[in-house]
Amino acid sequence: MSSYQVGLGWNKHYSKIFNGGMPTTPQQLSPVEEQEKLLDEALATVKNEAFKMKRCLDKNKLMDALKSASVMLGELRTSLLSPKSYYELYMSITDELRHMELFLIDEFQKGRKVSDLYELVQYAGNIVPRLYLLITVGLVYIKSNQMFRRDLLKDLVEMCRGVQHPLRGLFLRNYLLQCTRNVLPDVPDSDSDNPEGTVKDSIDFVLMNFAEMNKLWVRMQHQGHSRERQHREREREELRILVGTNLVRLSQLESVTLEKYQKSVLPGILEQVVSCRDAIAQEYLMECIIQVFPDEFHIQTLNPFLKSCAELESGVNVKNIVISLMERLATYSQRTDGMSMANDSGSPMGVPMDVQLFEVFSEQVASIIATRQYLPSEDMVALQVALVNLALKCYPDRVDYIDKVMLGSVEVFQRLGLERIEYNELVAKELSKLLKIPVDHYSNILTVLQLKHYAALMQHLDYYGRKSLSMYILTNALDSETVIPSQEEVEQALSLVSTLVTDQSDQPAGEVDMEELAEEQSLLARLIHQFKSESADQQYLILNSARKILGSGGQQRIKHTLPPLVFQAYQLAFKYRDLKAEDDIWEKKCQKIFQFCHSTITALVKAELAELPLRLFLQGALAIDQIAFDNHETVAYEFLSQAFSLYEDEISDSKAQLAAITLIVGTLEKISCFSEENAEPLITQCALAASKLLKKPDQCRGVATCSHLLWSGKTLASNKQEMHDGKRVVECLKKGVRIANQCMDISVQVQLFVELLNHYVYFYENGNDQVTVQMLNQLIGKIREESPNLESSEETEQITKHFNNTLDHLRARIENPETDGVSYEGIEI
Amino acid sequence: MSFFGFGQSAEIDIYLDGQESRKTAEVKMEDNKKERLLLYYDGETVSGKVNISLKKAGSKLEHQGIKIEFIGQIELFYDRGNHHEFTSLVKELARPGEMIANTSYPFEFSCVEKPYEVYTGVNVKLRYFLKVTVVRRLQDIYKELDIAVHTLSSYPDINNSIKMEVGIEDCLHIEFEYNKSKYHLKDVIIGKIYFLLVRIKIKHMEIAIIKRETTGSGQNIYHENDTIAKYEIMDGAPVRGESIPIRVFLAGYELTPTMRDINKKFSVKYFLNLVLMDTEDRRYFKQQEITLWRKGEKTRKANLQSPLVATHLVNSDADRAPKPEEVPVLEDGAVNEISEGIQNMTREQGDGETQKAPQTHE
Repeated sequence: MSSYQVGLGWNKHYSKIFNGGMPTTPQQLSPVEEQEKLLDEALATVKNEAFKMKRCLDKNKLMDALKSASVMLGELRTSLLSPKSYYELYMSITDELRHMELFLIDEFQKGRKVSDLYELVQYAGNIVPRLYLLITVGLVYIKSNQMFRRDLLKDLVEMCRGVQHPLRGLFLRNYLLQCTRNVLPDVPDSDSDNPEGTVKDSIDFVLMNFAEMNKLWVRMQHQGHSRERQHREREREELRILVGTNLVRLSQLESVTLEKYQKSVLPGILEQVVSCRDAIAQEYLMECIIQVFPDEFHIQTLNPFLKSCAELESGVNVKNIVISLMERLATYSQRTDGMSMANDSGSPMGVPMDVQLFEVFSEQVASIIATRQYLPSEDMVALQVALVNLALKCYPDRVDYIDKVMLGSVEVFQRLGLERIEYNELVAKELSKLLKIPVDHYSNILTVLQLKHYAALMQHLDYYGRKSLSMYILTNALDSETVIPSQEEVEQALSLVSTLVTDQSDQPAGEVDMEELAEEQSLLARLIHQFKSESADQQYLILNSARKILGSGGQQRIKHTLPPLVFQAYQLAFKYRDLKAEDDIWEKKCQKIFQFCHSTITALVKAELAELPLRLFLQGALAIDQIAFDNHETVAYEFLSQAFSLYEDEISDSKAQLAAITLIVGTLEKISCFSEENAEPLITQCALAASKLLKKPDQCRGVATCSHLLWSGKTLASNKQEMHDGKRVVECLKKGVRIANQCMDISVQVQLFVELLNHYVYFYENGNDQVTVQMLNQLIGKIREESPNLESSEETEQITKHFNNTLDHLRARIENPETDGVSYEGIEI
Repeated sequence: MSFFGFGQSAEIDIYLDGQESRKTAEVKMEDNKKERLLLYYDGETVSGKVNISLKKAGSKLEHQGIKIEFIGQIELFYDRGNHHEFTSLVKELARPGEMIANTSYPFEFSCVEKPYEVYTGVNVKLRYFLKVTVVRRLQDIYKELDIAVHTLSSYPDINNSIKMEVGIEDCLHIEFEYNKSKYHLKDVIIGKIYFLLVRIKIKHMEIAIIKRETTGSGQNIYHENDTIAKYEIMDGAPVRGESIPIRVFLAGYELTPTMRDINKKFSVKYFLNLVLMDTEDRRYFKQQEITLWRKGEKTRKANLQSPLVATHLVNSDADRAPKPEEVPVLEDGAVNEISEGIQNMTREQGDGETQKAPQTHE
């Protein structure tokens, strides 16, 4: 009774206590640079009043202490401070309020009844100081008697509605949140009425505080002049953490089970987020939800969360939110997979079986894309990228998931009516990124080929985009040395990179950069070497298909792509030869292969190429000779005669002619399958061709080369041994000398003599008895004779050197004769 | 009392029965000082003793009789000469004669009617006092003793809430609700403001308790308005749809019960003034009368035992304005005699602080 009366007495004075000396907000506006001054002034008042307050507390004068506290809190009524300065002021004041709180708690514990303190502080005339005091006292009540906890929390959060000023309201409610952080009821719900409150009351409390704070925060956006928008948005950024703390608090409640989260926490938050219709808030808060709540919850609430994403304002970067969630869950799934592998005793902790992570995301992403008309197309693709990443991380084996994303993306483009996307557009970059992921991830073109919609999606890139991606795919296939083992896959692979294989309808007209073309075609050519089947018959089919596809590439391409095919075919023929024991009709097959080669090379000829098909024919002839199937002599002859006719009809440049004849001679020299009947015309033809060369030095060299054909050439007549026709060799060489003599340029002449000397020496050493020391002497003498007449030049030096080297060789042979070598007696050096 | 230093004189002292234990009440006197007076209620007996002590021992005091009066009167300050007595009871204590020694006379006014409560206002004062007079030829000796009187009321039968939609067209529409229309002096006003339309930049909102004292009649009528309390209930600008709680404890303010037409001389009425201030310092306000009454002690004791905070906490469902179907139906009659659709608020330029008002806040 008496205590009540004392209290009553206080009440009467109390309205006066609070209403005296209340600071007022100055009306005149100060320039921004006065912030610091204003803050300093406010802090000085705070320091002063805090000092008084603490002194009064020391003397146990609670009423006076409350009065000082109220004056101190009055500083928070200002409208002049920026959020940053206000925050500083707030921190300093709430710091001092702790003294009050500690004092009151102490008093309560000592048993002192300050029973109507909660009423008492409400006599403060100004609402801001009043509510700060109310919260402080309310907290003390809660701490000393849990029985009022539920009602007090409800009351406090409700009363705070009185502050509608965004900045002041935000900080006030932040104070409420800070004060109550350790006293929120955190026990599961029970049927009986519990005045101490349960977690449900905590959820309601924080959710309401959250909703109110968010409203205040959003309201800041709409205050003041529109030209200060950026400034305002920056200020809002600074304050967002205050709003987000509510969510942190919710996440810290241990009794918030998955069920609670699903039924009340998340719906409550999402309702507010969606309904506030403010892009900044929505973006931040969605991100916040992802960050503060555990992944186990997210996994079970994907649908509502993602549905809300679809309802956000058009300015919200939904892509980032969804991607951030996907990445988090992907990481989570990987992490828990790792954990459950580490200890297999516990239940699997990863993604629960009943949650179809990918399906849910896939569905919701589709609906977000469908409902959000203003979503930039590159963001749509970026979402698909994230989906792919998620699928690859969580379900590495599910290629069908990736394919589903590809299909989804195709549908998106179809709906948008985007047929061809320009290379330099953002969306094209995203799309390329999307398409490169499977390439990089699998590093196996065969897996990429399993994606049925990959190629269709690729078609939405423009020519440059496709080309660059095709090259990327090729490079990857080459680097990972993926073997493509079936005809079907070869066809698919080639159609995938068809941009490189054939001309495209959207290909820009105009000059083609040959260097660039060569570069890309050589990639393709290299890939052809990776078309390899275990089975020879398969391989043949592969080559046939590839031939058909690549054949359509046009002149510029086939010169790069067909040769490897021909070489592959030759290899295949060798393979059949190795298999002859197992395959009865291997000879027939070989024949077919060479027919294939023949037609392929002919295609090159038709493309007005000469040297390349010539070489391929020669190479073919060599192969045929070695494989020795039925009727191979005829085929080889055909190949060689084709080479000859190419030589005759197509090669006109004298240097090229010489090179060609040298090659033909070299090839013929190696081939041993010809009978006299076929060999003789060929040899004669060579010699004839050589002597018909236009330039004398070329003639000389050609003839000299032909001489070897008569020495080491093999035919059936010579029983596949070197024929050693010494006489005709010397004839050839003599012809060479004769031609050399006809050269007007002494320097060239001497050079040719030196070269001829080498040929002579070679045959002499190899036992051609038609070559005599006398011939050598003659030639050496001739060279010696002419040498001094040469003008000194670099060329001359080379010639001299060549000559001296030859002489050195001879000297070495004389000094150290080989055991059964020829004698050099009589040679004049 | 003695002129020229001769002649007998006496000291009068009034002792009231049980004054040591009787409750007292603080009453404001004319000079704004407060005094604690013994507190009586209507119908209570006022009894005691009058002690008269002589100043000069051995000398007699001659008198024409001794009487005690119980007076209830109204003083109007602009009419000092005229006191209007609404109660006047007289008891004769002694017949004319001589007094030789100190004498004590018991007295009793049994079951005195005390219809009004003591009151000291700006222009009027209502007081009760006992007056002992020793009638003498030249000059009476007298003594007055003021007592305090409180009128108690029982809990009103009808105590509707006050609910009203007010506003200024296309500018501001609000709906306010006070939980009662009649409050006792230690009561709590609980209510809320619901904003239906806000097109002005509101700076803050407050509730003022205004006391209006009316004296005189006809042409000589005087109104005195006195702002007893100003209480900020909202800071900043709300948007449409916000609902702001109101909670005002009355116990801390100097209030009296509402007095209506007391003895046809004066009235004291109380109003709640809801004031919104915009950023250009325009005031928008709406006054609403409330009736204050004094509650008996016994009920107050009962109140004491209730939990200290819980009773006046805001209800959790107080955060929403009534849904359409909840709007009071007028056919009931008892529901709401005040609700009459949107009424106009008053808008004023400047801060409107024209009357002198005790500063409850700056």
